[in-house]
Amino acid sequence: MKKITLVVSVLLFFFTAIASAHGPVRQDAVEQITINAPAEKVWSIIKNFGDMSWHPDIFNTASEGGNKKGATRVLTLKDGGTIKEEIKKYEEEKMSYAYKITDMSTAKTITHAGVEEKVPVLPVDNYSATITVEAKGDTSVVNWKAGYYRAYMNNNPPAEMNEEAANAAVNAILKTGLINLKALAEK
Amino acid sequence: MFFIRCQVVAMVVTTTFFTEPLAAAPFAYISNQLDDSVSIIDAGQGKVVDTISVPGKPAGVAVAPGGDKVYVSTPEAKGFAVLDVRKREVVAKVLVSDGALGIAASSDGKRIYVADWYNDNIDVVDADSLKVIKTIPVGDSPSGLVVSPDNRWLFVANRLSNSVSKIDLKKLTLNKTVQVGTHPFGLTIDARGERIYVANVQSDDVTVLETKRLLPIATVKVNMLPYACALALNDSRLFVTNQDDGSVSVIDTATLKEVALIEVGDKPEGINTHPDDRHVYVANWFDRTVSVIDGKTLKVIDTIKTGRGSRAFGQFFGK
Repeated sequence: MKKITLVVSVLLFFFTAIASAHGPVRQDAVEQITINAPAEKVWSIIKNFGDMSWHPDIFNTASEGGNKKGATRVLTLKDGGTIKEEIKKYEEEKMSYAYKITDMSTAKTITHAGVEEKVPVLPVDNYSATITVEAKGDTSVVNWKAGYYRAYMNNNPPAEMNEEAANAAVNAILKTGLINLKALAEK
Repeated sequence: MFFIRCQVVAMVVTTTFFTEPLAAAPFAYISNQLDDSVSIIDAGQGKVVDTISVPGKPAGVAVAPGGDKVYVSTPEAKGFAVLDVRKREVVAKVLVSDGALGIAASSDGKRIYVADWYNDNIDVVDADSLKVIKTIPVGDSPSGLVVSPDNRWLFVANRLSNSVSKIDLKKLTLNKTVQVGTHPFGLTIDARGERIYVANVQSDDVTVLETKRLLPIATVKVNMLPYACALALNDSRLFVTNQDDGSVSVIDTATLKEVALIEVGDKPEGINTHPDDRHVYVANWFDRTVSVIDGKTLKVIDTIKTGRGSRAFGQFFGK
């Protein structure tokens, strides 16, 4: 029993160490869209953290805890991958919430520098994002921004896990989401 | 606002009379990591007066004690850049090693210390020759660095070892290492050199250490992902940036309790106190701004536009 505990704690330590080494530079992605609909209407579409059906890439959302800080949701993507997220800040009056990714499924496993690397469905690490609806008269402006690291934490990343891969994937998610949100709100 | 400006101007005039040639309005040097630049804020005017191109994803900042030079670590260029504050340009690029991040200048201006994130050591660089004269192994992923006011010790936060190391600057050897909270990153020291405050990113707290024996005397809970800290008002208040919830925790250093939580920009990182010992400047990574906090009233009195990925990790104020 003792041996097992030791092995587990060593493994845990190892995992923690790797998961939080931030040698690389944090990246950001920012998307903004103007929607010809009142802010309240746009907000009503995205306000429930547990419902991300407004995003075309999301197949299903399972959530726990509502819209409170610490509430979680598991997003199932169209291709079957999953992303678990948690609310960090929820501000109804500002029509804004911030959340972070706490877990992801693996999209594929590659070999890089002689080591097996798991590429997560979203090739990023330590990802957090904020989405905000702002009223501009009868129209509204939605800002969606994300901060994250590339998925590979050591020097010399493989192409699947470098900054370009991370930026392309995140930018695509933000853009696709906002375009669809606009379409839904202007219906 | 007008009243505050007047005070700043008066203070600048006083400084000009009492300081040697280089005296000017205090300037803050803010590294914009994603823009590959450094914004120079004129604290008197409350705005950016110049932006210098610094390739290599600039992160750490250390103003030389003389105020004539600024050292900016450039992790992707594997070293640091030397900025001449008069010319407002990079006058030297120094190759150090793979993971150059944390940076500090010695109190006498003769040395520069660089923490290497990947190789787990501190490089000691001669400020005149800009050559590495010694490499000292420390804990895993060293990040924040601070030199004691008497120039006798260097303190290092070892992020992945959850410890702080004390380096003897006479012998250039490791003197002692102590465990702190989880993932310590930025740290600061009081004017007497008696206490160190370390922000622990993962355990959401600050470890207070007494420097003589390097022993923890308290742990103070703050908010989400504390990154770095700065002292103000005669060391009576400690300001801690909480990266993950866009706030600054204020700790009373006598009671060692959090007394206020100030909302700043998104992803606040580097934090430093103006030489007036009252105003605290916070670089907001996500917002591309710097928030100016009045340490007395605990209000944000100004927000200054900087660049993309404002990080300013270290001692970024010129005197």
